[in-house]
Amino acid sequence: MPLAVRYVLLIAVVVAAALWSLTLGQRGDIHLSNILSLLWVDDGSLARSAVIDLRLPRTLVALFVGVNLALAGLALQAVTRNPLASESILGINQGASLGVALAVVLPFLAGVPLDLMAILGAALAGLVTFAIAGGLGGRLDSIRLILAGVAVGAFSYACVRFTYTLDDDLSRLVINWVSADISSVSVQQVLPLIAWSFAGVLGSLLLAHGFNVLALGDGASQGLGIDPRRVRFLGAALAAVLTGASVAVAGPVMFVGLVVPHLCRFWFGQNHRALVPAVALGGGALLVLADAVSKLVRFPYETPLGVVCALIGAPYFLYATLTARRLA
Amino acid sequence: MTPGQGIYRRRASLVALLAALTLASAIWSLGVGAVKVPVDVIVNTLLNLDGDQQRYIILKSRLPRVVLALLAGGALALSGAIIQAVIRNPLASPGIIGINSGAALFAVLLVSLLPDLPPAWMPVTACLGGLSAAGIVMLVAHFRTLSPAHLALIGVAVGLVFEAGVDYLLVTSSDAERSAPLIWLTGSLWGRNWDHVSVSVAPLMIFAALALVLTYRLDLLSLGDASATGLGIRVPLLRLALLAVATVLASVSVAVVGVMGFIGLMAPHIARRLVGGSHRWLLPTSALTGMLLVSLADGLGRAIAPPLEVSAGILAALLGAPFFVYIMLTTASEQDG
Amino acid sequence: MRNVIARLGMTASLLAMVTSAHAVEIDHELGTTDVPENPERIVVLEYSFVDSLAAVGVAPVGIADDNSRDRIVQAYTDIIGDDWVSVGTRKSPSLEIIASLQPDLIIADKNRHSAIYSSLSDIAPTLVFDSLTGTYDVALESAATIAHAVGRDAQMSERLAEHRALMSDYKAQLGDVSGLSIQFFIDNGRGIYLHSPTSYNGSLLSWFGFETEMTATDGDTYSDAIVQTSLEQLSVLNPDILVRGKYADPGLTDEWVGQPLFDNLKAIQSGWLFDIEAHNWSRLRGVIASEASAASLVDIMAQIER
Repeated sequence: MPLAVRYVLLIAVVVAAALWSLTLGQRGDIHLSNILSLLWVDDGSLARSAVIDLRLPRTLVALFVGVNLALAGLALQAVTRNPLASESILGINQGASLGVALAVVLPFLAGVPLDLMAILGAALAGLVTFAIAGGLGGRLDSIRLILAGVAVGAFSYACVRFTYTLDDDLSRLVINWVSADISSVSVQQVLPLIAWSFAGVLGSLLLAHGFNVLALGDGASQGLGIDPRRVRFLGAALAAVLTGASVAVAGPVMFVGLVVPHLCRFWFGQNHRALVPAVALGGGALLVLADAVSKLVRFPYETPLGVVCALIGAPYFLYATLTARRLA
Repeated sequence: MTPGQGIYRRRASLVALLAALTLASAIWSLGVGAVKVPVDVIVNTLLNLDGDQQRYIILKSRLPRVVLALLAGGALALSGAIIQAVIRNPLASPGIIGINSGAALFAVLLVSLLPDLPPAWMPVTACLGGLSAAGIVMLVAHFRTLSPAHLALIGVAVGLVFEAGVDYLLVTSSDAERSAPLIWLTGSLWGRNWDHVSVSVAPLMIFAALALVLTYRLDLLSLGDASATGLGIRVPLLRLALLAVATVLASVSVAVVGVMGFIGLMAPHIARRLVGGSHRWLLPTSALTGMLLVSLADGLGRAIAPPLEVSAGILAALLGAPFFVYIMLTTASEQDG
Repeated sequence: MRNVIARLGMTASLLAMVTSAHAVEIDHELGTTDVPENPERIVVLEYSFVDSLAAVGVAPVGIADDNSRDRIVQAYTDIIGDDWVSVGTRKSPSLEIIASLQPDLIIADKNRHSAIYSSLSDIAPTLVFDSLTGTYDVALESAATIAHAVGRDAQMSERLAEHRALMSDYKAQLGDVSGLSIQFFIDNGRGIYLHSPTSYNGSLLSWFGFETEMTATDGDTYSDAIVQTSLEQLSVLNPDILVRGKYADPGLTDEWVGQPLFDNLKAIQSGWLFDIEAHNWSRLRGVIASEASAASLVDIMAQIER
């Protein structure tokens, strides 16, 4: 199948998933039959308001968080040359949760914006993971990296769960945030996210050649005139920014960065130039679908997006480890 | 004096120092907490002498906690040392064969499905959860004859699946207002008493003894599969037996003190730095390090912000983390060089 | 004759000795517990038990007040004074501080403290009631049992009679509200949490005759009582009156102002969104707390009449 057709198919999946997700909710007056007219025609009805003010921002947030996190996962996997690396496996998402939990619980951090704390926590957790896994020099044993990330993630989560045991209003805030509940996002949060996604796609495309060369090994890349350290640093920075920007809006959504690049490699091969658009579209599609599922699991109550993604992603990780041929 | 004797003396004195520190931290943690108890009152209470006594706080609250901290800290560290030897990865720990997550999922399931069951069932259920998660991992490894590294990854993956279940239950059916299971999830000795000691002491002691008996074989295993087989050892069987011992030690500990994931990871490393990799020295030293970390963390957790208690699992991890990161950074550069 | 009187006196004093050493048997959520007669040093681990003790003029020596003394509101401190010792948070109270107070009775909550019941019972006889997920009726029953345990049956039946009269009076002032649906919710800045018909506040509102738009669930767990919801679901429920308790300012609902879905809620259109003290409504339960809630309801209805 030509590349272009595959992209078009993915776009169709994204659009279809988004439209389906837009019809899901507690209101009974929004269906597949009238969703398009509700989107385009302002008839002043409450159904139109529900679609435009509530459901559309939410679906868009899911879409672009998916794009960002999937691209971040792709960059991390290229940088570490480890097909299982991703934000949640390396403890970065959990670090972001810890940052937020601390900001909510510690009185002297009360003034600090939550998204800043999330980004700081993510960066710190990533640094600690790489430090434990064998230094920042670049020699990384893949198993060791994953075990280090899991340990950092587990520690962060132990601390986060400790905050659940504190005051009732604080613990609710932390849970709400950590479980990536996006049911109440607003339009203002969508625009910066879209900007980050475009920057992410652009950056990934610029780095795609470097990522391809990294896969050949350090010696080969120097022969091809590419400084592996520079690519690694830029790739890690891109992943950090994309993760931070997404986590700041939606909270830590787990496993997208693992699942999407992994699946896309089956269909699009190993060339990062072809992979980047595919991963971006695939990430969007996966999260829009996950968001739709999160509305349905316990209808009419909502299940937070983060929980749904973990339930999808963790078994996939198990599957990936069972089938992966070369790891250590 | 031969160099061998010098090393022996150095190691022996380090172990003695650790033991003394552990004893000191245990006694210190009897005195600290929301209610400060002076030394003479502790002595009066322990020996039932005339004068001021604090019978409940010392005998029924802190003493069982100290005993549990020593038991569980030692058992978790032993378990970690064994698992690191079997998996042959410095970052292996009881957590990576799914024990912590399995125990956590079963405990949370119990709370949300059968909320009216007496809380005494929680340790039993948690232990079962840890055993079944480790069982799944080992079965998979057995049938697919996986390398130790691959086994570790499967363990991580199974752990993450269980962990996703815990999160789902925490956010949906079970809830944060019932805090006891949550406190348990962070690894805490809050609310522990002699009941918990009495259910865990026998299995922990028996399996710790078993671990020490298997020390010599651990050394053989660390020579590599080929050499060990050459020496007449059935490597897969030994590996399974060692993992089983480690699993029971960790599951029983997790059942009584909650998810303390980092003792099993850090204590063996600190011990290896102190006395080297020979398991004859490594196992007892790891156990002592684990005991020291947990008893110190439990005392600190009570002393930091009374009347609130900070979980020992978190504090133990924080206490050990600087050493651990330092060790990891320095060993990595040695490998590079 | 004198002999007989002396004997009678002796018997009487013997009887008195026997009864004072005799314990009162109390049935509660986790079984039956012998409580020494007229316990004086009482530790309570939920706010509703402070309410029950204050209703009969008993001051606890220790309260799990979440380390902030102002959570024990003035309605209580007017009666019990300011001498209690904080024993930590309701979720994880400090067993050591409780023990150091040498209580002769501990009152705990079924949801929060079942796991440490054996440790609490080691310290003192412990009674367990369903405060967190209990209804208004359950709160009154628990109050009566607690009064019985502390030997204040007479005061409590007097107080409860007064309470019923007062509540009936409030109910009369509210008038017939059977046509009106009402919903109490908490806004913490990131989410809103509805108190369902099975919750304490939900049951109190329906005691006054208010309707509810929520369908009651069978369960009686915390997640049945307190339900997180979104603007869309709120717009489907669309109750006539909204009673809001804010733990954050500005709350999430303040951000919704201007959105057609929010502005078109019946309660917003008619201006029937009322703010009350979040702490008093969502954390306090019992005889005194319900009277305060009733009084604020009367205020709310007075504004609606206008």
